Amino acid sequence: MTGETYLTAEEVTKTYGDMTAVSEVSLDIPSDAVTGFIGPNGSGKTTLLRMLLGVERPTSGTVSYDGPAAERQLGYLPQRPTFRPGFSVRETAGFYADLVDDDPDRLLERVGLEEVASRPVSGLSGGMTRLLGIAQALAGDPPIVMLDEPASGLDPAMSRLIFDIVESIADAGRAVVLCSHELPLVEETADRLVVLESGHLVRTGSVAALQEQTGGPLHETFTALLDQDRATIAAPEGTQS
Amino acid sequence: MIDGTRFWTVFVREVRSAVRTRTYLALGLVTAIVLFGLAHAGGGPAGGYVPTVVDTLVAVEVLVPTLAFAVGYRAIADPAVRGELDILDTYPLSTWSYVGGVYAGRALLLLAIVVVPLLALGVNVATTAGPETTVFASHRGVDSPFLFIRFIALTVLYALSSLTIAFLLSALAGSRGRALVLGLAGLLVITVGGDLAVFAGLDTGVTTSTLGGALAMTPAGAYRGLVFDQVLYVAVPGRSAFVPTWVAVLSLLFWWGLTFVGATLATDAA
Repeated sequence: MTGETYLTAEEVTKTYGDMTAVSEVSLDIPSDAVTGFIGPNGSGKTTLLRMLLGVERPTSGTVSYDGPAAERQLGYLPQRPTFRPGFSVRETAGFYADLVDDDPDRLLERVGLEEVASRPVSGLSGGMTRLLGIAQALAGDPPIVMLDEPASGLDPAMSRLIFDIVESIADAGRAVVLCSHELPLVEETADRLVVLESGHLVRTGSVAALQEQTGGPLHETFTALLDQDRATIAAPEGTQS
Repeated sequence: MIDGTRFWTVFVREVRSAVRTRTYLALGLVTAIVLFGLAHAGGGPAGGYVPTVVDTLVAVEVLVPTLAFAVGYRAIADPAVRGELDILDTYPLSTWSYVGGVYAGRALLLLAIVVVPLLALGVNVATTAGPETTVFASHRGVDSPFLFIRFIALTVLYALSSLTIAFLLSALAGSRGRALVLGLAGLLVITVGGDLAVFAGLDTGVTTSTLGGALAMTPAGAYRGLVFDQVLYVAVPGRSAFVPTWVAVLSLLFWWGLTFVGATLATDAA
């Protein structure tokens, strides 16, 4: 890891009417590392990710890109990628590659889809659709790649494959940010964790550092951190430690 | 603002998608059947170009926006629902290039559906009408293929304006269901709502002297007025336009430009 910061969020908040989805979150996204966002459903992971991407404007706070100059700064895999029907895998990759003067065959090889390049996108399994989404996210070699639930709903073998690809993306020098509920895989893959609860940043640090605080595997760490946070929120003013 | 290479990438995908969608071929066939059916039922092709325009004008006035909405009502709503717009936000692709590319591709499709049957009808007139229609008009009162070409050119402008309105509503929809509802509502407003609003205005300020100008402010009224002025009345000595020509032309260009800008801004905000 070079330790360079590629993306910085300062006090970002997102509200929808009376509901606060993300509250005053500040964090850095380092290069050469996988940063995992974990938290229960509705904790604000996806909203935070979308604000870091720039597709959602924060209600307050700022997000700044500090990475190297690039034609495309951020790659993005949405939670449920869907591609325009009526096109083959190669044509779909070709469309995105053409927007950044990239090679669609290189992108498909990168995620292992070269064998199904002529298959229509409507004939892809959920896992293969996700892989095509990752191929698209890599078009133009963006320094930062953000993946929202890249393995949700997939079988263990496909989940494993996707996390292996995620790891290799970071090994190639990029900053990778992912939201996931696949805690064992996140534990193996992520270099750094950001724990969110009810829109608040509960804790951030390396997997090992967080485990040291609570002991046990990540899912126990995760539960312990959330319990601590809930206790802090519930405690009367002046009694919080 | 518009990047040529990326605009072209988006445009080519739209055209490919259109070519592969058989529904559009069916739309073209239905359009041809309706136009030929109406023209022959009225005896237009045997009478000449202007009688053919008279036979088909009302149908074209309704058919063109209907086809424009069929082609465009999901043009922006679909990629928004699919999450494609969010993905494209991470590419160096401006919203102008994207909306422009999608619009150009679908406009080409719409014009193929509308113009090819009209051209075929023109050829049909050329081969079946009497000898008085085979000359090019050099003065008012003479039927001519030029008048039919004018009719097609005005129809193209009407189609392009209708399509941008469909794009604007699609960009505002946010879901496929709302896109359908807004599309149907927009279609009703274009085909009958505009005229009804103008006639309702007769009680509240629109006078007989301003009626023509008011009718020209709506896309359908402007198109109808221009066809009467530039096509039908040219062949009928002594008749003059019921809408001011320049107001009608500006009105169609205004609807075209304004709703395209609106569609792009709405896509940017989606």
